[in-house]
Amino acid sequence: MAKTLLMIGTQKGVFFLHSDEKRESWSLEGPILKGWKIQDVQLDQRSKARMYAAVGHFVYGQTIQISDDLGKTWQQVERGPRYAEDAGSELKDVWCVVPGRASEPDTVYAGVAEAGLFVSHDRGLSWSEMTGVSQHLSREEWIGGLGGLCCHTIIPHPDNPQRLWVAISAVGVLRSDDGGETFHVKNDGLIKVIEGKTHKDIGSCVHRMVIDPQNPDRLFQQNHRGVYRSDDGGDSWQTIESGLPGTFGFPIVVNPQQPDTLFTIPQESDEFRMAKDGVLSVYRTTDGGASWSPSRKGLPDNCYVGVLRQAMTVDSYPDCGVYFGTSGGQIYYSRNNGESWETMPCNLPRISSLSVAIIE
Amino acid sequence: MPELPVHIPGLLRNCTDNHGTVTVSGGTLQGCIDDLLHRYPLLKVHLFTEQGAQREHVLFYYNGENTRWLDDLNIPVKQGDEITVLQAVSGG
Repeated sequence: MAKTLLMIGTQKGVFFLHSDEKRESWSLEGPILKGWKIQDVQLDQRSKARMYAAVGHFVYGQTIQISDDLGKTWQQVERGPRYAEDAGSELKDVWCVVPGRASEPDTVYAGVAEAGLFVSHDRGLSWSEMTGVSQHLSREEWIGGLGGLCCHTIIPHPDNPQRLWVAISAVGVLRSDDGGETFHVKNDGLIKVIEGKTHKDIGSCVHRMVIDPQNPDRLFQQNHRGVYRSDDGGDSWQTIESGLPGTFGFPIVVNPQQPDTLFTIPQESDEFRMAKDGVLSVYRTTDGGASWSPSRKGLPDNCYVGVLRQAMTVDSYPDCGVYFGTSGGQIYYSRNNGESWETMPCNLPRISSLSVAIIE
Repeated sequence: MPELPVHIPGLLRNCTDNHGTVTVSGGTLQGCIDDLLHRYPLLKVHLFTEQGAQREHVLFYYNGENTRWLDDLNIPVKQGDEITVLQAVSGG
């Protein structure tokens, strides 16, 4: 029977929740890397399994740790992401670690703050900057959001090695069509939060972006100012908000087996950033965003929490599992594609990220 | 050349093979810090920025004195001296 592993990045370390494919009962492991702020944890199963953790600390800076035994032991990488001394940017956080395409199993990407993109071609042991992001022509007009000037989303096109998207808060979507050498802003149709003085195309605050796993021209994003879909690889964006109670939120995830089904968690405005009236609600679409409806059977009232951009994930079982963690340290999950929700048996530190793996 | 103990905070002991105290050698205080980074290179990213500056909230204490207040780290050290790495936490 397959094992299900939920990997949890928190303000105080990594935790794991273990289950089987039924996902009825769970056992908690952790804290691991205790005391470190964990912005992301990913298990790369493309070749020999390797786990990556983006770790940081207010005093001691940021780096990446790797584990080859499913998180039992960890090793700090010797040549992690670092800007050159004269780059003009400072590494303030490693936001995400993203395995590359199936065709390049040794390649891994990392998105950082101050906004930049790094790549490793040796499974995370050494990293170099892809300067097309941090040296973008509009860079001097970029202004970070509340979470900092962060490159939080990286999406390699699954089939085209020349195409790669990144998303940066308060800047927008950037796409490369030359293997990451240069990037072009792809914000057409997105509302701006603060446009550039001369670069009028920047200034859209994308909070999270996902790709349709069956149609790589189709992208979805939860933005500071709305929810959007692109059907042309980001060249243009259309609003998909029918049925949503508001436009502000952070995470968005797509069911990998049914890519017209997506989930998001609206929050009460950028001023308050928590469940409106304490009614914690997931919203689901089953028609590619044409309409949304609430899904909250099993979720609590009197729950004044937020959900961060990387703190929601889905598994790839036929009866899709959906998981999200809150700023209050609770985890809720569905074993039936969002029909109903259950509560994980734990209360953890503030949750930064969730990812889930099925281990055969 | 004198050998000095360096006390390492708990969070950084993954960089020193889980040792809370390690030994370095050097003729000067700067030489000892250089030797620390040579022996345990994973520490560098945690103690210094990309530009080579000591991280704002990292402190080196030399025989109980904050090295930030020293004019020059190229001062001779002697057997029996010690160095402590601390995080500057003065409040919540």
